[in-house]
Parts: sequence; structure tokens; C-alpha cells
Amino acid sequence: MMWMDVENITLTINDSSVSGREGMTILEVAKENGIDIPTLCYIPELSPTGACRICVVEVEGSRALVAACHTPIAQGMVIRTHSPKVLETRKTIVELLMASHCGFCMICEKANICDLRKIAADLEVGLPRFETEKRFYQIEDVSPYVQRDMSKCVLCWKCIRACREIAKKNVYGTAYRGFDAKVVVDCDQPLNKEVCRDCGICINYCPTGALTRPKKLGEEKKGKPLVISS
Amino acid sequence: MPQKRVVLKNCGIIDPRQIATYLQQDGFKAWQKVSTEMTPEQVIEEVKTSGLRGRGGAGFPCWLKWDLARKSPGIEKYVICNADEGEMGTFKDKYILGNDPFSLIEGIAIAAYAVGARQSFIYLRAEYHYLLDLLQQAIKQVEAKGFLKHVKIDIRLGAGAYVCGEESALMDSIEGKRGEARYRPPFPTTEGLWQKPTTINNVETLMNIPQIILNGASWFNQIGTERSKGTKVFSVSGDVAKPGVYELVLGTPLRELVVDLAAGEKIKAVQVGGSAGRIVPYDKIDTPLSFETVLGSGAVIVLNESRDIVNAVYKSLEFLAEESCGKCAPCREGTKAIVGIMEKFSKGEGSERDIKLLEQLSSALPLSSLCGLGQAAPFPVMDSLQYFKDSYQSRIKEKKVGVVK
Repeated sequence: MMWMDVENITLTINDSSVSGREGMTILEVAKENGIDIPTLCYIPELSPTGACRICVVEVEGSRALVAACHTPIAQGMVIRTHSPKVLETRKTIVELLMASHCGFCMICEKANICDLRKIAADLEVGLPRFETEKRFYQIEDVSPYVQRDMSKCVLCWKCIRACREIAKKNVYGTAYRGFDAKVVVDCDQPLNKEVCRDCGICINYCPTGALTRPKKLGEEKKGKPLVISS
Repeated sequence: MPQKRVVLKNCGIIDPRQIATYLQQDGFKAWQKVSTEMTPEQVIEEVKTSGLRGRGGAGFPCWLKWDLARKSPGIEKYVICNADEGEMGTFKDKYILGNDPFSLIEGIAIAAYAVGARQSFIYLRAEYHYLLDLLQQAIKQVEAKGFLKHVKIDIRLGAGAYVCGEESALMDSIEGKRGEARYRPPFPTTEGLWQKPTTINNVETLMNIPQIILNGASWFNQIGTERSKGTKVFSVSGDVAKPGVYELVLGTPLRELVVDLAAGEKIKAVQVGGSAGRIVPYDKIDTPLSFETVLGSGAVIVLNESRDIVNAVYKSLEFLAEESCGKCAPCREGTKAIVGIMEKFSKGEGSERDIKLLEQLSSALPLSSLCGLGQAAPFPVMDSLQYFKDSYQSRIKEKKVGVVK
């Protein structure tokens, strides 16, 4: 539709005037204008969930900070994405996530490509000061397609949404409450091949090393046969 | 200001199992007036002039919810009565539901008429299952009298989760899902239950409606302070001689409630608004109870001088950490971190560093949490650090362990 393309909403982000279309979120407008807001639970193609709260920004007139990933823009909004208040809050949240994270970064497969670690480094969050207990679960390696190490899960609900909205399978759900909240299959059973086929979409979306493709023994050796020509 | 019975007008006077006794007390006169003389817009206008604000704790203007839901497009709309009274120390709705279910049903009937809803739900707390039969009987009797032709009232039982008293989690629970807070906007008035416009009102808010319609908005408007109109039902518990349910005009000083009425002695502090409420020290006991100052859901927990504030806060936070839905990171991890630090204090291992961490957490959580639970959870910590910092510091210096006086 023609009118959809008209940028008719003007707002201020970090003291510069920008414009956006109706129905866009703060995050989308910020991205278009080259402002980087860190996100953990946001996937552009899926519905937002607002779970990680790392993308919080300051909106003038709002008592609390709002999450950029799901808040639609409005005419005349005045937004600050990197004010001291925002940065302080973001740092606290990441520090909290790191505090309960198992912290096997050295031996984790995702070590250098982990989203949580990237965000922590960007926000200059060092070793967490909070002494909360860490989540430890047994590695679930029943399924030949997906290996789940829930100790590394940061509960961003990405796998749940990817499975529900892209694979249309609804394999994952949430269970328990508070700190014990966990992404589960059925009634907290290990993932098995009866419920999950090998689409592996969730693995691609996992920001940490919680979901990985299981390595078969000797897989690396499998390749072209070695031919020695004389 | 004296006690005034507006919400509790019929409690103890009528028989909750006999609609005839309610009809004798001008029962359903308000509904008859609404259905015969008033348009839905007029009803909303009347509630607007009365200045009635939500009694669940947030104090959102009641008329605005109704108006937004009414103006939202769609034929299917819902009115939900929030009877999931989970806040620690709150038992006013239990008293109301058990003594005067008919006023509530009349309030729902009027609200449904104003909003344009044909279906209504009463979300009853799981622990109040013994009231289920009484409520169902009451609804049946009202239906038999022909007052509920425009709306069907169903009762949904909760399953014991505190967070399901939060409106978006409550809707998830009615939909049959796990109760998790939703992000806003969209607000329930545009996309609520099953993505349809929905208004959610507290039991006490709806109890006020028949009285406002019968006696007129200007009568209601005269009661209370400038921005808090009407009366409020308080549930007083803790170290008082006469705990119970009291109804007071808004703006009444806290002293009148806990000292004069409930006969509390040697008070150290009063926790107003339940586990996630504000802590009022004794030297501020003349604070008026209103939306401008402290109010919350009306839970008033009195702590006398033998109580330890750090321990009380620890217990409150332990409850909130367990009842967090676990969706958003600041609430899930933050409440747990606070509990961890408070536990250190209770073991006599706290330090000045921990106070700094508590301050950092209690500034981040209200700013970033997804719903009211996480936003309000650090309030007891903040208030105790403000008014009772010496009890933290004495624990650090003397390495006090456990519950100390």
C-alpha cells in the first residue's frame, strides 16, 4: 500500500530528529538511523517477547524505562538510548544474567560467538559481583539432532518462538517459576526424536551454547578418502 | 475522619445466600436505573465525574479503562473481575465476596453494560475455592431474577500463582496458558483476553459502582482527598490487638487505622501494600492513606518493636522471588540476587559492599522489569535502607545472626 511507505511519524532519538512509519518499534527506527541498541531476546522476523529487557531505553514522560523491541513509536516521542540511567540499568541486567550463568566460557563451543558474552564485553561488564547460585542441569543428549545444555540457557525464549513460529512445531514450552524457570519439552523430559525432527532451527537462534548440534564420534575424520599417489 | 461504609455497606446486613435480603437494601436499583434511564456513555461519564480509581493498587482511573475498551473496535469484549487477591496480608476481597456477592455482580452487570461486553469472568483465587459455591449460587439467583440478560458471568479459578493477580498474567491464565506477564502496549483495553478489548477491575472497584450510580457521582466526589475519591477497605494484620477489615475515607492518617482502630502498640514500622509495599516508619505514621502517598492494595501489616526489619524484608523478598513468573531477566535474576544478599545479612555475613549492591538492584529493577511484580519488588528494600539503615549497619558491625531484635 502506498501510504504505508510514508514516513509520517517524527520523533527525537538522542537529540536528533528522525522519522518512522506507523507500527514501527523504537528498535527498528533506531536501527534505520544507525543507532545500536543491544538486544538478546529479539529476532527481527519473529514476534517480540520483551523478556531480556536489555534493549531498554529512556522515553520522556515515562516513569520506567521501556523496551525498544516491542514499544511502538509515537508522534513527538523523545528517546535516549544511551543515557547514564539506561546504561547503568543495562549493565545491571547483563551482570545479573552473567551471575547465574554457568561460566564455562573457556571450554564452551560458542565462546567467541556468544551473544551474551558480546553484550557483556560491549557494556564493559566484568566478573559479576552478585553471588547468586548458578543454574546447573544435566546435559540432554538423547536426541540425535539437538543437544541441550540448559546450564547455559539465558531464558530468552528464542527457541520457543522459533519452533512455534518458523518450524510450526511447538516442541518447547516453559515450566517452573521464578529463578527455576526453564525451557522444557513435554513435562520436562529430555528432547527425543519422537517430538523433534531434525530441522535444527532452534539451534541457529540460540544466543549461547545451550542448544548445539551433537557431534558424532569421529565425525571430523569423515571426509574424502586419503589417496596417496606415488 | 471516621469509618465510612460504602463498599461494605451490606456486609453483615444481608444474607449472602438470599437475594431477597439484598433487594431489600436497594439491591439492583442501580442496575435498573442504568438499564432504563442511562446510555453506556452516560454511565462512563458518571464514573468519570465520581473520580473513582482502581482499588487493586495501581490506582488507574476506572472510567478511562471502560472508555478505552468501549471505543476499541470489535463486537466481542470482556469484563474481568480480578478476585485473585494474592498480596501478602490482604484479605478484604475474601470478606467482601463472602458477605456481599450481589453488589459485585451488580457492579459487573453495570460495567459490562458500559463497556459493551457480553461475557464476563470472575477470576477467583485458588485458595478461595470455598467461596465458589456461594458465588455460583449468587449468580444463579441474579440470573433467575432477570438482571443478567445482557452478560454471562463465569467464574475461573486460579491455580495459586501470585503473579496471576497481575492483569496480563491473569488473562493468560484464563486463556489456559501459563501465567506470564505480557508486554504493553498493546494494553488490555485494546488487545486483552483472546486479543479482544478487555477491562479488568478489582473486586472493590466494582463494588463501588452501584453506590456511585445510586447516590450520584457528586456524592462520591465529596468523599476523600483531591486525587483519591471515596473510601478504601484495609486489611490490618500483624502486631495489633484488633486485626481485621476496616473501611476508611481516603486521606485518613495511618495512625487512625493502626493505633486508634486496630489498637497497635509499640509500633516500629507499618508495611502498607503487602509484600511489595512501602514501609512506613513510626515517625511517619501520620501519613495520610491515599493514592498520592501510600496505599497499594490495602494490606496493612504492623510490625512492633520486637520485630526485625531486615528479617521482615528478607521474608518479603523470598516470597516475591519465588512468585516471579520467570519471564523477564531483571525480575527473575534480580529478586534472586536480592534474596541472596539478604540471606547474607541474616547470617551475619553482610558488608557495606552488599548495601551498595542492594541499592544498585533496587534502582534497576523498578526501571526495567516487565510487570508490576518486578517493578515493586525492591520497594521494601529501598524503604528499609532509607529508614532503617542502622539495622543493616548494626548487623554488619556486630555480625548478628538470624532474627535479632
